[in-house]
Amino acid sequence: MTSDYAVLAEDLTKFYGPRRGIEGLTLGVEPGEVMGFLGPNGAGKTTTIRLLLDFLRPTRGRATVLGLDPRRDKATLHGRIGYLPGELAFPGRERAADLLRFLGDARGGVAWSRVTELAERLDLDLTRPVRAMSKGNKQKVGLVQAFMHQPALLVLDEPTSGLDPLMQQEFLAMVRDARAAGQTVFMSSHVLAEVQQVADRVAIVRDGRLAAVERVESLGRRAVRSVEIHFADPVDPGEFAGLPGVGDVTVSGPVLKCTVDGRLDPLIKAAARHEVVDLLSAEPDLEETFLSFYYHSEGAGDATRAGA
Amino acid sequence: MLPALVRKTWRDDRRALAGWAAGVAAFTVIYTSFYRRFQGAAEMKQDALPKGMLDFLGIADMLSAAGYLQATVFSLIGPLLLLMCAITLTARTIARPEEDGGMELLLVNPVSRRAFAGQRLAATGTAVTAVAAVPWVLLMVIVPAVGMQIPLSRVSAAAFGLVALVWCFTGIAFLVGAATGGRGMVLAVTGAIALATYLANAVSGMAGAWGWLRWLSPFHYFIGTDPLHTGWHPAELLVLVAAGAATTVAGVVLFDRRDIGV
Repeated sequence: MTSDYAVLAEDLTKFYGPRRGIEGLTLGVEPGEVMGFLGPNGAGKTTTIRLLLDFLRPTRGRATVLGLDPRRDKATLHGRIGYLPGELAFPGRERAADLLRFLGDARGGVAWSRVTELAERLDLDLTRPVRAMSKGNKQKVGLVQAFMHQPALLVLDEPTSGLDPLMQQEFLAMVRDARAAGQTVFMSSHVLAEVQQVADRVAIVRDGRLAAVERVESLGRRAVRSVEIHFADPVDPGEFAGLPGVGDVTVSGPVLKCTVDGRLDPLIKAAARHEVVDLLSAEPDLEETFLSFYYHSEGAGDATRAGA
Repeated sequence: MLPALVRKTWRDDRRALAGWAAGVAAFTVIYTSFYRRFQGAAEMKQDALPKGMLDFLGIADMLSAAGYLQATVFSLIGPLLLLMCAITLTARTIARPEEDGGMELLLVNPVSRRAFAGQRLAATGTAVTAVAAVPWVLLMVIVPAVGMQIPLSRVSAAAFGLVALVWCFTGIAFLVGAATGGRGMVLAVTGAIALATYLANAVSGMAGAWGWLRWLSPFHYFIGTDPLHTGWHPAELLVLVAAGAATTVAGVVLFDRRDIGV
């Protein structure tokens, strides 16, 4: 069974002393699949990734990557993985080109044309020292080194962090190309929107536990957005709490905050009875809506069982 | 072709290495080339300093060539410089990249953990050895040139002792870094051991009751045998080499077992 998965975690658990990193993670990533690994900061995403790469050793359970044991087969395995660290720091003070040449040589040689092609794609100047680069450019160097040897598995920790929107789109295109080439991608993120665009499935972690694994198609319907309305005068929360699709209403003086599931119309009609100063509507934030949905529903399930 | 990691380690350390090599070379050349001019002054200095102080500084006499060489290059500043070089550079093998985050991209190289640690230390170890051998190479030229009457084989014995001493402390520094991943830890622990064992050796020479302390001190195995007067002492030198080797092996094993970058 193990060799059927590109990544397989079985009851994977890591405690740092008493502090929980990840607990009881059981998850399989199919070969050729793009899996998003979602969760708020501190949920255990990076811990999981470091376990897969054998930087950390599990407290319990085990991981199998490309059918190999991360510890015993480290040498073989790391030649077949492209890894982008979440906290990206580069060894040495050399130019990007020299650093990439070293990383390429270490992996048994990478065609230089492949490196320059990726650098062009990401609009990255390889002649500059990596240390002097902006966060976004460092991230591009990180991406180039992860993709350049065309590894069977890409493990990317917060890959779009620091990239501007145009480069984020280019990165997503690189992920699509990787999938088309049969590579497996396991990428962590705390932004639902970017993962939605490329992933086949998403796994959601919260507080060190796997909350859900879903196909991406079934995610879109849960588009709950958060809305904030600033009125000229204080308003009564009761006016808004009962509206269809409106939830989590909080009012502090003239400012109303709530979530809206579905159409905005009922809320707008109700708000129009007052003088509106400002209206802010944000894309659903993963932390606020999607994750809390799973978190609360899980919690509710436990409560029900406890009561029965 | 050397492993990419070894070449990378040298490249990252090249400035520090050049600096240390230049510093050690300058120190060796400046001190020894004063030999002739120093002869008169040495007599005064010898008389001015109390005997206890001279013993503590590891200076037997400053009048003979061997005494002068021992007092200048081999007693305090020479070992101090080289140990600082060895400890700070060895702290770079594992502890520093682990602290500043560069470790992850180094460690994803397709080699085993043990091979990784071994290659890092091999690179730094050879570089540090080269710096530690600078006095040796220079003294082979300077000693005859300034007319010091010491057989070169004895100078070699002392100079090799310096290299072996550096190996010993490189091993200790590597062990601390590989086991803890803390740069401050490497500098503090290894520095404290160096200081404590230096004092142990110095004190043991002065107070008879504490004579046994010297057996615990790497400095005793390096210079306590008085190589400039008595030549090679393979057994003592072997102790230093063995200590370096044992700490290296322990470091590799512990690095292989622990979590990285927590």
